Formats: sequence, structure tokens, C-alpha cells
Amino acid sequence: MTQDEILAALLEIFRETFDDGGIELSRTTTADDVDGWDSLTHIQLVSAVEGHFGVRFKLQEIMKFNDVGDLCDCIAKHTA
Amino acid sequence: MVSLYFAVPHRARWTLLLAASYYFYMSWRVEYALLIMASTLVVYFTTIGIQEAESERRKRFFVGVSVVFNFGLLFVFKYFNFLGSSLQQLADHLTLGVHVPVLHFLLPVGISFYTFQIVSYTIDVYRGDKEAERHFGIFALFVCFFPQLVAGPIERSGDLLPQFFEKHEFDYVRVTDGLKQMFWGLFKKVVIADRLAVVVDHVYSNPTDLDGFPLLLASVFFPFQVYCDFSGYSDIAVGAARVMGFELTTNFNRPYAARSVPEYWRRWHISLTTWFNDYLYLPTVVKRRDWGVRIAVVWALMVTFTLSGLWHGAYWTFIVFGMIHGSALCIEFLTRARRKKLTAFLPPLVYSYLCLGFMLSFIVFVDVFFRASTMSDALYIIPHMITGTVRDLVDLKNAGFSLGAIKGMFAGLGAPKWDIALAMVLIVFLELVQLVQARIVIREALRPRPTWQRWSLYYAMGVLFLLLGAFNNSVQFIYFQF
Repeated sequence: MTQDEILAALLEIFRETFDDGGIELSRTTTADDVDGWDSLTHIQLVSAVEGHFGVRFKLQEIMKFNDVGDLCDCIAKHTA
Repeated sequence: MVSLYFAVPHRARWTLLLAASYYFYMSWRVEYALLIMASTLVVYFTTIGIQEAESERRKRFFVGVSVVFNFGLLFVFKYFNFLGSSLQQLADHLTLGVHVPVLHFLLPVGISFYTFQIVSYTIDVYRGDKEAERHFGIFALFVCFFPQLVAGPIERSGDLLPQFFEKHEFDYVRVTDGLKQMFWGLFKKVVIADRLAVVVDHVYSNPTDLDGFPLLLASVFFPFQVYCDFSGYSDIAVGAARVMGFELTTNFNRPYAARSVPEYWRRWHISLTTWFNDYLYLPTVVKRRDWGVRIAVVWALMVTFTLSGLWHGAYWTFIVFGMIHGSALCIEFLTRARRKKLTAFLPPLVYSYLCLGFMLSFIVFVDVFFRASTMSDALYIIPHMITGTVRDLVDLKNAGFSLGAIKGMFAGLGAPKWDIALAMVLIVFLELVQLVQARIVIREALRPRPTWQRWSLYYAMGVLFLLLGAFNNSVQFIYFQF
């Protein structure tokens, strides 16, 4: 999958998980930029992403997701 | 100490700090130094072992040794008697002829803090986030660095260890900033916290003798007391470190401005919250995500917050305190979507103040468990502070709000009325300062101002400190007991 495809899929997942159709994403988006994305909902997001892409992240990887870009790169690595 | 620090060449500084830190620690009890040295040695060698280990199994072995040793010590000193007495109660109840031994140890000062600090370091090395520190002297200093040894902030090795290698010059601005911070911390502690403590201690030492308004007032005072006490200590610690050029983490960020329970925990005792998040909550929720996200989150929250309550002390009141917070967070998480819909029609400002009001009431309520000496005290205080106060207010109304009746309400608080009024004024003063702090960094705003303005402020604060400080009733820092 290309980075653009991943980002587009993520956009849908974000919008659905946080129940906010107005969310916009870029590689540099962080939790501070998205209303409702905090340490409690983070696992909801991770779970949704894993379900959609059919991947499974390790704890170490999840802890290193600082922005959407990190998430994209990790997904790409797992789906390569 | 500080002048020595800057006089001594950089290479020797860690020795000076290490010696000073151990001297400082031994001023409590000399044996404590042996304990912390033992922990230091164990962690130093096990982390090098982790670093050098070839296999995953060997790495885990070393992690296990470090964690078991350190938490084991913490358990023995802190929780053994609690477990013992609970088991004893159970055994007596079942009339088994068992006698559980009681250990008579004093709790080493700061053990909860430095233990957490070195366990986080161990896990960081295991995770590969940090390289094991080989310089034993500097590592020992990381464990016992005196500003943060006794009551935190709990530092991460990645933040603090490298700073010991850096050379710090004498910087007038930085040093005076540190001194100002220390003074503000001392002010909060000696003037505000210790004054509030007079009322709180009096009421909470025999709550069942009282009813109504005194219980409520003391319970409202307490959150402010514990905030000024603990954040005051943290300011002294951070300020002292800053004087020497070290930056410690911020531990508090105006916690009572929080609009929700998760936000509260992002603002209160931040170094502990992040510790529990990184080393307990996140691993737990990630591991259990297959149970379903909601179940995993609830489980992880309850485990994390019950333990974080227990971290404060081996008492049922702390466990309940933790569990209430855990439950509140679970409820907050599970009802988020529903609440968003319900409150969408409210004007944002109204909603914001409602949240604030709710949070303050919640904190007053749950802090009763934090402060009460026993569960039965806590369970007495909570209903009585509400029903009793309602009754007091009704009586007040019937008495036509006469001055005598109002004064009567304040009776039984254990302090003269002027002291109580002063305490309330101080709380308002604190909140005003915090409101200002939300907008600007006070010390930076002061800098460009003419000397006479700055120094008038310093003199005024100094005078207030000497006049208002509760020097007769100086109370030990609350968090020293943890």
C-alpha cells in the first residue's frame, strides 16, 4: 500500500473512532491536534487500525507512535 | 553547598553532589543509606546484565531480579504489616490459631519515589530505550539526587542522567529563578498549607465528635492544603535543582483547573501519573485489547488506579481512594459519546464552569478518603458533612442569618475565627496567583520591570511570609510519609 492510501484509510478510521466527520489528518498530526484523542482512546484507535489493516502491533511500536506519520510508517512495515 | 558546587571543577561535581545527597539522606537515619546503596548496586549490575545479555530469557532474568528485589524491599517496608494485619484479621475471624508476625521497621524516607525511579530505568534499559549507565558514581547520584530523593518528581533516566554529564555554569538569571521558585514553594507550604492544616488536622483527628459545617470546611480546605504542601515541596525541589543548572520535570499544572478526571491526572503529580501510564496502564491495556477495547480499558484503569492509590500507603482508605478515581475514569470513558450529545446544546462557557464545579466537588469528596485516618472516619464524614451542613444552614436561616449564628457555625473548628478567615483569604490569594500563572510566567514578566517594583514585591512577600507563616504548627510534608 502507498502512504497516501494508508493515510486515506486512517482518515476514515479516525473519523469513525472519534465520531467526528470534520477531522483532517497529515503525517504530522498528533494527539494534541485531535479532539478526543488521549491515552484512554488511543487503544481504541490502535485496535481499529489493527482490525482494518489486519496487522498486530507490538507494545514497543505502540508506545512510539508520536504522530500520524509514525503510525503510517509502522502500518507500511507490517503490510509490506 | 551551592557555592561549593560552582567552585568545584565540573569533573568533580558529581562526587560533591553524591556526597551531599548521601549526607542529606543519612540525616534521617544512617541505615537508609545502606538500603539505597543496596538498591543502587542491584540495579547497576542488573541493567548492565540486560544490556550485555544475548538471549531474551537472560534479559528477562535480570529484569526480574531488579524488579523483585526493589519492589520486594518496598513491599516489606511498606506493605508487609498491612498484609499481615489483614491476614491476621481473617485468621482471627476464622478462629485459626495463627499468629502473623509483625515487623517493626520504620518506612525509609523516599523509598516509594526512588524505587519507582530505578524500576523505570530498569524497564527502559530492557526496552532498549536507554543504554545502561556504566559510570557507577553518576548512576548512584541519579538514584539519590537530593532535591528529588525524598518526594519526587520521579525522573526518567533519559531526562535526568544526561544532565549529570553536562557542565553547568553559574547563570544569574537561572539561579535567581531557582531561588524564587524555592521561595514560592516554601511560601505555599509554610503560609498556606500549614495554616490550613490547623483546621484540617483538628477536624480529622476526631471527626465523629463533630457534625455538619466543620466537617465540610475541613474537607474543602484539605485539597488546597495537600496541593500547597506537595506542589510547594516540588517547587522547592525543582527550584533547588535549577539553581545548580538541573531541570527536573514539572509535577503540577494547576490541577484544580481540570474540567474532567483524566485532565486532573494530567495536572496532578504528573511524574507519578506518567509512570503508571507508561509502565502499567499502557502495557496492560495493550496486552488485553483482545478482550474487547472497552473491557481492556476498564480492567487496565481499575488495576492502575487501585495500585496507584495503594502506592500512597498501606491503608484501605488509599485503596478506596484509588478505586474511586479508577471508577470515575471508567465512567468518564464509557459515557463520553453520550455526554457529548447531551451537552452539545449548552453554551461552552456554562458547560466549562459546570465541569469545574463538578470536579471540585468530586475532589473534595474523594480526598476525604485520602485524608481520613480510618475507613469508618471517612464513611462518617461524607454523609455528615452534607446532611449536617444542610441542617446548619436551615438553623442559620431560622436564626435570621444573625452574626451569632454564623459564628456558631464556625465553632468546633479548632482555630480562632481570624485564623479561619485568614485561611480562606489565602485560598483565594492562591487561586488568583494561579489564574495569573495561567496567562503569564510571573518571573519572566517581572524581569523587565524597574528594580523598585520587583524588590517591593519581594519585600512584601517576605513580610507576608514572616507574618503569616504557621511557624508554631509546622507540619511535616505530607508526601514524606509515602
